[in-house]
Amino acid sequence: MKILVPVKRVVDYNVKVRVKSDGTGVETAGVKMSMNPFDEIAVEEAVRLKEKGVATEIVAVSMGVAASAETIRTALAMGADRGILVETDVDLQPLAVAKLLKAIVAKEAPNLIIMGKQAIDDDMSATGQMLAALLGWPQGTFASKVAIEGDGVTVVREVDGGLETVALTLPAIVTTDLRLNEPRYASLPNIMKARKKPIETLKPADLGVDPAPRLTVLTVAEPPKRQAGVKVGSVAELVAKLKTEAKVI
Amino acid sequence: MMFELSEEHRMLKDLVAKFVDRELMPLEPAVLAREAQGQKVGLTDEEEARLHARCKELGLWGLDVPAELGGANLPVVALMGMNEELGRTPVPFYFPPDSPNLHMLMAAANPEQRRLYLDPYARGEAKSAIAISEPGAGGDPAAMITRAVKDGGDWVINGRKIWISRVPYADFTIVMARTGEGKRHEGITAFIVEKGTPGFHIEREIPMLGGQRTYEVLLEDCRVPEAQMLGRLGQGFAPMQLRLTIRRLQMGAWCTGMAVRALDMLCSHARQRSTFGVRLADRQAVQWWIAEAATKIHACRLMVLDAAAKQDAGQDVRTEASMVKVFATEMAQDVIDHAMQAYGAMGMTKELPLQLMMQKVRTMRVYEGPSEVHRMVIARRVLDSRR
Repeated sequence: MKILVPVKRVVDYNVKVRVKSDGTGVETAGVKMSMNPFDEIAVEEAVRLKEKGVATEIVAVSMGVAASAETIRTALAMGADRGILVETDVDLQPLAVAKLLKAIVAKEAPNLIIMGKQAIDDDMSATGQMLAALLGWPQGTFASKVAIEGDGVTVVREVDGGLETVALTLPAIVTTDLRLNEPRYASLPNIMKARKKPIETLKPADLGVDPAPRLTVLTVAEPPKRQAGVKVGSVAELVAKLKTEAKVI
Repeated sequence: MMFELSEEHRMLKDLVAKFVDRELMPLEPAVLAREAQGQKVGLTDEEEARLHARCKELGLWGLDVPAELGGANLPVVALMGMNEELGRTPVPFYFPPDSPNLHMLMAAANPEQRRLYLDPYARGEAKSAIAISEPGAGGDPAAMITRAVKDGGDWVINGRKIWISRVPYADFTIVMARTGEGKRHEGITAFIVEKGTPGFHIEREIPMLGGQRTYEVLLEDCRVPEAQMLGRLGQGFAPMQLRLTIRRLQMGAWCTGMAVRALDMLCSHARQRSTFGVRLADRQAVQWWIAEAATKIHACRLMVLDAAAKQDAGQDVRTEASMVKVFATEMAQDVIDHAMQAYGAMGMTKELPLQLMMQKVRTMRVYEGPSEVHRMVIARRVLDSRR
């Protein structure tokens, strides 16, 4: 079984994101970038399936600026076998990424795609679903458990009311939630081995896809500052404030 | 030209960062508590064994050991990023084997000594110490008077050595002794003295700042076979210098990491703590501490990388190593001091790592050469290079 794992280069989760002064986006210059944490979970799940002998090959795909190759290299160090970089300076939106991934699927013919449920930069949570629609494949989103059984995959999903279990027929798409696994850290020998694993670089045009944005970003702004709270001296005062000031009771 | 680690070396640094966050940081409260109770600051055997097992899993072992000895053969530059991460916690830990003696053995050991001492040391199975300082020769090791005299097929060593780390646990100790009539650094030879050799007496344990321990050793007709002379007769000073250089660069990286931690703590406190209605982060005095710290950390990191890259290229970096050692230790001390000051009374407690880092960095301004000696050496070289 071949598994395709898309991985995105995002601002590291430890970094406090700052909005650019002109409101066109967030500051990425001189900022530590890392693999999207949900994608790390996806890589980990794929590597575990390979270690169990279920998967035979893991292909990591990243898209965007040339430095996205570093994100692929991290996936290779975790255990992916080879990488594909779709290099472009265009700001990629979920639909463009889904179309590019569809073209890669046509080329690679994977049996399973495991990807993060969302990227922590724009939190769109759309690419997996769009790709499923474009391919006409079944999807198991927000997975907290994944089990391959025969020519199908059983996915336990984290939904608002609890857990939902779905059975999908392969080929299928799984998007990962936080509790699926705890990603390993790439060991030193695997970091050294990653250097020798191949990364193929393509352009969107090679895949016959126009990645131009379909959505226009009007402005990006910091969340409004929260007003300082007040301490109340007693329950009576609290109730009074809720009645007269907050007017919620 | 970019002054930064390569992609691969950044990944190694990230690996160590995760190791520090997940494996060492959780042990920090226990280490601080041990220090507060006046116990030896260190890990228990079980803690160390668990960490070593984890290191083996992750390949964090034999980092600068040559590939033919089963190591990762990493350049010094790569080690600097990794050591910076280790510096972020005062939990005492290094990836075996400790680098300085490794480099000295690699430079000086003959094939038989490599088999007997370097191989087990490189595998992390043997521990070692080095005895350089004497009661009358510390910052100026060339003033040493411990003497080895040839007697048949043996060398007989007599003298007194002090401030030696790890010697009770060491399977062998490298002892520097005078063998010739030469003055100063001429005529000094290195010998390998195995644990339990008659005449090698560990006289006392000396408690130091930061819960560290050093030892005083008396060598009394301590007899070692000719085969245990390390390197060439009378030529022991250069490989010893090499080991000191490696340690000084490593100290530069540790200090960078310590200062990064102190600055992180300073910033987080400055943004939370208000006095007289103003956040510390909004006070100019504190802002200047932060700006100074960030600037000097940046400078220190670049100095360390520059010296390490030159060392990897085979250049003599003794001067750079002296500059790194002085700058890094004094920089880290300043940053930690400001963080402690910003924390006020809380900064004085034994609950925070700052005080233990402060004790450590205080000793670092002395060991491997006091700042003043390094300044003297730097000045001499600068003066000598002018016409």
